[in-house]
Amino acid sequence: MRLRPFAHIDVFAGRPGTGNPLAVVLDAEGLSAEQMQSIAAWTNVVETTFLLPPSTAEASYRVRIFTPRHEIPFAGHPSLGSAQAWLESGGKINEDDELIQECGAGLLPIHVEDREGVRRLFFRTPAVQSLRTATDSEPGLAAAVSGVELGALPPALVEAGRRWWLVELASEASLRALQPDLDAIAQWSRLSDSMGMCVFARCHDQPYQLAVRAFAPAFGISEDPASGAANATIAAWLRHAGALHAVGEEYSVSQGREIGRDARIDLRVRPNGAIWVGGETQTVVRGTIAW
Amino acid sequence: MTGLRFLQLDVFADRPGTGNGLAVIIDGRRFDTATMQAIANWTNLSETTFVLPPTLPQASYRVRIFTPKSELPFAGHPSVGTAHAVLESGWAQAVDGRLLQECVAGLLPIKVHGELAGRTISVRAPRARQLDWPADSAPLLEQAFVGCRLADVPPALVSNGPAWWCVQLADEASVRAMTPRLPQLAALTRATEAVGVAVFARGDSDDPMLVVRAFCPADGIPEDPVTGSANAAIAAHLLRSGALAGLGRRYWVSQGREVGRDGRIDIEIDSDDEVWIGGRTQTVISGTLAWS
Repeated sequence: MRLRPFAHIDVFAGRPGTGNPLAVVLDAEGLSAEQMQSIAAWTNVVETTFLLPPSTAEASYRVRIFTPRHEIPFAGHPSLGSAQAWLESGGKINEDDELIQECGAGLLPIHVEDREGVRRLFFRTPAVQSLRTATDSEPGLAAAVSGVELGALPPALVEAGRRWWLVELASEASLRALQPDLDAIAQWSRLSDSMGMCVFARCHDQPYQLAVRAFAPAFGISEDPASGAANATIAAWLRHAGALHAVGEEYSVSQGREIGRDARIDLRVRPNGAIWVGGETQTVVRGTIAW
Repeated sequence: MTGLRFLQLDVFADRPGTGNGLAVIIDGRRFDTATMQAIANWTNLSETTFVLPPTLPQASYRVRIFTPKSELPFAGHPSVGTAHAVLESGWAQAVDGRLLQECVAGLLPIKVHGELAGRTISVRAPRARQLDWPADSAPLLEQAFVGCRLADVPPALVSNGPAWWCVQLADEASVRAMTPRLPQLAALTRATEAVGVAVFARGDSDDPMLVVRAFCPADGIPEDPVTGSANAAIAAHLLRSGALAGLGRRYWVSQGREVGRDGRIDIEIDSDDEVWIGGRTQTVISGTLAWS
């Protein structure tokens, strides 16, 4: 049986166990899609990725991404973890400090930032496709935010790759204490054809500038530990609303504490409006897989 | 920090992906209980074990067993897999084909047959006892098995640590085709303080000899792929009800095909009427763990 290099990586994590895990099988050539799906079901990690030689010269590698149930064209945290595994296996970045990932959604640049001995990887998020604030009688809103202390910005529905309701809360304390009404959020998400509700609060005297919690109960995710796409929509909303100065064009997010994690997500909002989401990764397990 | 030995195994599996996953870390001395629990939560496998030096001189090794949520005193597939890991890594050696595992539940003997890829390992299950049916069991059982063809043997509630409802169905097809009524099964196990419901039937052609499925919906596990304790409970139930005639004191079980696995469990009932559960283990992932 052939042994292939394997890594189990924690993404958006300053230390092991705090972020969103990912299993990576390197040198996946020769595995069928059925075998990849079986491996992803067996590892029981939220996503398992398989690295393959690229099919075009400009790409660094090709990746296929599987949840335990099916293959998906793209997702943020699996892209960052796959890039980390590829770099650790000897992959080299180009003169723009980038590597190019080929995946089901096309070619995607991953930016590698080294600052003060800390390496962070970033992926560029899709541009905003639509954005609107809630109407006075927005169906489903009242029940979903009942009893919640709202912050300065009005609730907004923002689509950038995925569509989320974004609700600013008055303080970090009210965000941490929030007991979400998942039934009401699921209903609101169905009424608006959105992923769910993402709440955020500006933070003071913390190593992060924003705290975030993301609820997608209509998709079976009561609370997500670390959400790349959702955080990108928040950054776009802050920029659109003229509130980005409150957190800065480069800011950090704390997410996941309420469900036993402690993820740190970093945002980079470029002058042209492009939003990059990333963070640190921790390689927890290095080894081989026999299948 | 240097990495620790990390193995991710497939237990009760003749080939990778067919059994029940298990992570084993060798060794766990540098971790406190909270860290072990955090690692077990992170692997997201049904169990993660930590091998430790034994505290008793007669023990081969000590093991602590964690689910993503809590520590267990004993469990079958983690014991079989951990024994495989200590042998594979050279951490302990079998003496006369035996290991003695120290765990929270006490000292448990383990038998090792064969070597390397052909090696099978079996562990003696804690002695089972049959419990009286709690009040209201009958209507709850009836609700849970609407539309199922039951065998002509009454269900039994058997405890070997966890308590299992053991329910014999008419034939292999009835087991394979069963669509579990999960809310009703959950209601039954909650009301009777059972961990789950195990259904079984004789195999059509004695290959396998017994087919088993195990449902634990109240624990958040609709169907467990391969279950040591449920199989030990069924063996004790068969022994007690005199149904072993025709099956014998050694038989093998198929479990997990309905959830995309294909586990094989070897059962032995020894001359002291102790139940041993065993099988083969595949080393799927082998490497190091860095956790600080």
